[in-house]
Amino acid sequence: MTNNVQALKTFIWGILCCFFYVTTYGSQDSITVFMQQVANPSGEVDRSEAIQKLLQQDNPAVLPFLAAVQNSTLYIWKDELVVARKDADRPEGYMVLRKLYPTYTMVLDDEQQPLSVSQEELQSVPIARPDRLSVSGLGVRTNLFNPNTQIRAASYLEALQSDDIAPELLSWALSHEDDPKVLVAGREAYCYFQMTKATTTSAITAWADSLYNTGGNNTLQLLQNFRKRDGLPEDASAYLLSKSEKLAAKSAWMERIQNVFSGLSLASILILISLGLGIVYGLAGIINMAHGEFLMIGAYATFSVQLLFSNVFGIQSSDWFFLAALPLSFIVAGSAGLLLERLVVRRLYAKPLDSLLATWGVSLILIQLARWIFGDMTAVKLPAILSGGIYINPQLVLPYNRLFIIVLTLIIVAIVYWVLMHTRLGLQIRAVTQNRNMSACLGIDTKRVNAITFFMGSGLAGLAGCAMTLIGNVVPDMGQSYIVDSFLMVVIGGVGKIVGIIVSGLGIGISSKILEAFFEAVYGKVTILFIIMIFMQFRPKGLFPDKGRSAEE
Amino acid sequence: MLLKSDKIIPIVFLSFFAILLPLGYSAGLISVNSISLWGRYFCFAIAALGIDLIWGYTGIMSMCQAIFFCLGGYGIGMYLTLQADSSPAFLPDFMSWNNLTELPFFWMPFQNFIPTLLLGLLIPAAVAFIIGYFIFRSRIKGVYMAIITQALALSVYLLFLRNETNMGGTNGLTNFKTLLGFDLSQPAVKLGLYMVSLATLAGVYQICRHIVGSKFGKVLLAIRDSESRVGFTAYRVLHYKLTIFIIAAVIGAIAGMLYVPQTGIITPGRMDVKASVEMLMWVALGGRGHLKGAILGAISVNCLYSVCTTVFPEGWLFILGVLYVLTVLYFDKGFLGLFEKLAIRVGLKSRKTAAAPLP
Repeated sequence: MTNNVQALKTFIWGILCCFFYVTTYGSQDSITVFMQQVANPSGEVDRSEAIQKLLQQDNPAVLPFLAAVQNSTLYIWKDELVVARKDADRPEGYMVLRKLYPTYTMVLDDEQQPLSVSQEELQSVPIARPDRLSVSGLGVRTNLFNPNTQIRAASYLEALQSDDIAPELLSWALSHEDDPKVLVAGREAYCYFQMTKATTTSAITAWADSLYNTGGNNTLQLLQNFRKRDGLPEDASAYLLSKSEKLAAKSAWMERIQNVFSGLSLASILILISLGLGIVYGLAGIINMAHGEFLMIGAYATFSVQLLFSNVFGIQSSDWFFLAALPLSFIVAGSAGLLLERLVVRRLYAKPLDSLLATWGVSLILIQLARWIFGDMTAVKLPAILSGGIYINPQLVLPYNRLFIIVLTLIIVAIVYWVLMHTRLGLQIRAVTQNRNMSACLGIDTKRVNAITFFMGSGLAGLAGCAMTLIGNVVPDMGQSYIVDSFLMVVIGGVGKIVGIIVSGLGIGISSKILEAFFEAVYGKVTILFIIMIFMQFRPKGLFPDKGRSAEE
Repeated sequence: MLLKSDKIIPIVFLSFFAILLPLGYSAGLISVNSISLWGRYFCFAIAALGIDLIWGYTGIMSMCQAIFFCLGGYGIGMYLTLQADSSPAFLPDFMSWNNLTELPFFWMPFQNFIPTLLLGLLIPAAVAFIIGYFIFRSRIKGVYMAIITQALALSVYLLFLRNETNMGGTNGLTNFKTLLGFDLSQPAVKLGLYMVSLATLAGVYQICRHIVGSKFGKVLLAIRDSESRVGFTAYRVLHYKLTIFIIAAVIGAIAGMLYVPQTGIITPGRMDVKASVEMLMWVALGGRGHLKGAILGAISVNCLYSVCTTVFPEGWLFILGVLYVLTVLYFDKGFLGLFEKLAIRVGLKSRKTAAAPLP
């Protein structure tokens, strides 16, 4: 009896309190007031209490504010409460702002572009750690407004797992989202959410269609998971199966195209490296084990040019350095090659196996030198014009840097072909390749041809190194990882044949990427080696051997 | 004079390392670690003998000799790993990490010493047979041979690096405790292993001398100098090359089997391309086509390595690189050739008896 009375008393007291609140502040305005109290705590209600009050609001528009509190990104700008985010496209110290309440909108400049505001114009609102922690209890809900795009994308997926999140919140958050990747993840989550809530077959198939069209990363898995649910109508299940199969087939195709594309770009790098190696081998019968180190020299030349531009010329954000680095890496690596030819290789043309050892020693010296000068790892900044890629769909993006490498290779192969086939120097190189003694008798300065060819070959490796900086770090032993492959290419292609190098480069590049898709990378490599060994049984002189008779010794 | 020095050098060598060094150890002048270090040098010298047979005498430049060294080493390493714990259900750590519950089938034979010994020699021989047969059959030689074997070395190295091959991955095999019941950490056992290595080196040297001096060895030299002419005179070049390739592989495996108990660890790092080329370099530095040169080269390069890595560790690769270049450019007959030149200059040796020029 007494219990009931107690409960009744509490209930009435509660209603009275609510009434009091509503009449004093008005439900909409009370949020603004609490927010002001959080920003400028004064009077008897202190900040923690205001945050507690905000936590009790059942209004999605409060959540961005709470997220800003939680992540310490709450600022005051021109007497307005804003959340500030860093933006990758803007210079250091500048932020993009969003108003928080009553509308969660981007602050725009006169041209309707997001306004960048210097950090100094912003007044930060310091929030104590206990207060921030009290907000984190909302979990996914505030994470939907986290400044980090990855957390936002993940929180949409997380929202799927917890049942107590209203779809309205998701759609409200989605309508205020501007990052394309998060949008895809959010739409995916939203459609899946609606699909699970749907009861009729037609509703399920409609939402499954929308889910299919979002093109998110997890769509296939979500469709498959949903199909396993109990009590799903027969025809809806069949429809889902057909959709997921279609999706699987589509993504398999995209993967294949992506594999061929990365194979192509790997092949272009291999071709760039092996062109020089192959020409020198054809000409002088010498495999230059230090060839990979000319690639490294080219990469470090690019790195130095970048340093020169940013530290000496003071040009920070410009792509011109790369344009300057292309010819420079050719010249620097070529000169290093010429030096090697003059000092070491020239004495060893008669002893190819000895030159193998000597150039191996040179490669050790060069790697150690690079380590002394530049340290263990550096990287060249990707030129802004080459960042990003051609976006075909979520599974298939063709990056500009790889496209650039492919185009560069095409151009260089064309130039080398032209030089070999249509210039006097090319004629001489081909003549010496075919018969050194006869060429010498006919007045060709074979030593000069050797030196020029060595210069060209090393320079091409340097160019390859310059191109490599677009897709990877610059490390002292970067040449080593590609060099064995390019040796094999020369062996398969046949002595000094450009066509052979291109064909074998494409073969090795594409097949290793495709095999990597089936096996692990290592097993792919081993498989390729076995294929090559078997191939050598039938064509020991390579794909395009020299025709005609020649004595072996 | 030549005959005399031919006998004197091995006797001096043996008496120094078999009597003086152990005496020095028992007198407390030499630490057991340096004894063990010399034991390892002898293992490298054994491997170098094998390389000299195929490269110096037959002219085949194989860049995958470190594979055979490591195959032998891994064989004994597997045995030692299994001996480290006597419980029957024992599994090495890396296998438990791979969620294995029992020993993989290829580890089974390595539970006992005799099968280990046999397999440690048979597997490298079989691998060498397969590689050699396909390479020599299609008449791959010279630079092509070097490239193909280099690629082979790379892929085997990559295979051993993987964890799922259950060979210990990057960490390799280590944590050895006993060999045939002897505690490997005991100084006496270390000394014993040193003596065994020395004896094996002497034995392998004798066998190699025998091979080189026999008719078989003469054919090898002929192949080195003119392979097609040997073929035209109805010798089966393939058989000769294959045989010597397998012999070299087995010698390498013996060296590896002696090396691992003394070092206490075997990792894939011992078999990368660099390791194979370095082995070639020992022989080139010591003097190709001379068995003594191979031993001299292996021991001196490794001594230099030990000294340099303690004095200036950064510079070792630099020194090695310079040595490669200088050897090839200026003394292609190695240290032995250098000594010979000196001997001729001093007048100890007549010009006629100097070794024939290399190809």
